[in-house]
Amino acid sequence: MRESTKMLLHYVTGLLIIVTGLIHLLANNEPNVGKLITGNTYLYLSNMAIFLAALLYHAFNGIRVILIELVPDKCWTKLIGWAIFLIGIVTYIVGFQVLLMALGLI
Amino acid sequence: MESSMDLWKPVGTVKIRVYKYNPRRDFAPGWKEYEIEVSRGTTILDALLRIKEEIDPSLAFRYSCGQALCGSCAMMVNGRQMLICRTRVLEVAKDGKIELRPLDNFPIIRDLACDFKSFFDKHRAVKPWIIRKDAEELENPTGDYKQTIEEYARYYQFTDCLLCGACYSACPTVSTDHEYLGPHALAQAYRYIIDTRDDGLEERIAVVDSDHGCWRCHFATSCSDVCPKYVDPAQGIQLLKKLIMRSKLGFKPHKPAEVLSSKIGEVKRR
Amino acid sequence: MSEGELEYYAQNRRGVSGWFKVRGYVIERKLYTLHRITGILIILFILPHFYSTGWHPGLWWDALLGIIVTFHVANGIRLTLLELFGIGLGKPLLVKKPFQRPVSIEGKQRYLLAISIILFIILALIWSYYAILVKPLMGG
Repeated sequence: MRESTKMLLHYVTGLLIIVTGLIHLLANNEPNVGKLITGNTYLYLSNMAIFLAALLYHAFNGIRVILIELVPDKCWTKLIGWAIFLIGIVTYIVGFQVLLMALGLI
Repeated sequence: MESSMDLWKPVGTVKIRVYKYNPRRDFAPGWKEYEIEVSRGTTILDALLRIKEEIDPSLAFRYSCGQALCGSCAMMVNGRQMLICRTRVLEVAKDGKIELRPLDNFPIIRDLACDFKSFFDKHRAVKPWIIRKDAEELENPTGDYKQTIEEYARYYQFTDCLLCGACYSACPTVSTDHEYLGPHALAQAYRYIIDTRDDGLEERIAVVDSDHGCWRCHFATSCSDVCPKYVDPAQGIQLLKKLIMRSKLGFKPHKPAEVLSSKIGEVKRR
Repeated sequence: MSEGELEYYAQNRRGVSGWFKVRGYVIERKLYTLHRITGILIILFILPHFYSTGWHPGLWWDALLGIIVTFHVANGIRLTLLELFGIGLGKPLLVKKPFQRPVSIEGKQRYLLAISIILFIILALIWSYYAILVKPLMGG
């Protein structure tokens, strides 16, 4: 995967976070709008699933960029990339489980 | 009566604090302060040459043209990168003091002179020359490559680069990432990609679109801030990012330059 | 001699302190440093919030979190517009005047900067309003 693909996803997930995060904040803080959004649980679940994926990608790619700048030696770059990827996958699974529990679906 | 020679009348003295470090002899760097008489027109380079002649011959620094044309004399003056041959002492003196350090993020050879080897290697890595695919035309040219003034304007600004090292020194990414290509190399990569005479997009993208290429730039713009020739490498790098994104969608950076066949040897008679 | 073999002072690398050297440079350098710091702080908040969804820092800390997030969002939008689309970058110059300031910094980009700062202030105020005034009424 070229670096430009990863960075394009970084920008796209940034915008996704703003959109889905806004829905998440409205659902939790504005009672009227909140009932409308959380009324349909599966819609809210898909919103949070996209929010979680976008947030984790954006955050972990940011960590990867900072780590690559701090430890630029070629031998570490691949290791850092794969380690961050695995931690990201694991965190997503854990987070999705927490999400299902919070919405009362498990 | 005022005359232009008033510029060179001694006006006062200035204390110049210079970083002294000889890696082969000294354990740690030190500072040495010299007091020198200056006029309104004295540049920092003039002051350093006077110090070297009259006070301390062991001071080591680089200079060449003395007119902001070669890029040899870049160093940190009061914490900011500039060319000392065209900076007046009284312009930058704070309370009559100036502090001179070698450029940040460059290995030090001695005192104020730095090692530019990796700087030049990174510049060479982006292939800063015109790459063409039509070998036949290159071997047996039939004419000139046509380029309009608008196409020239798209890259002229970046051709003024002196490779002085000020932008590379000011960049925050360079301070931790020694593999990062640097604003000088990336701006030159853009200058050659966008030149209509050039065909080397794929070769350069492989170098620039990498882990330590243009995507490690975060638009801190210190490079453009300190550039002595107003090359604006920050603009070049962001335009390069936009170009890479567009090339992913299939857009080419420019139309190929056509050849204006010249009638070599033909003489027009009236 | 490769750089790795030189001693510490001869290498002359600023290291991480180079990220924080903002004095004497333009304001965009300071925004770059703040963007990095806020990004790291957001990750530090996300981790506890993640594992127990109810966890929130509380009243005034929620407002502080709001300031951090909205700054990162507003500056992020500015950076996305500049780097992906080239909006506000300006065109390369054909004629340079003496003491020319770079077009990419002090041209149209400053308008984009002003808009993003105003956006940041508005969003931060809205977030703080909800954090301090509305949330306690809802049950914390």
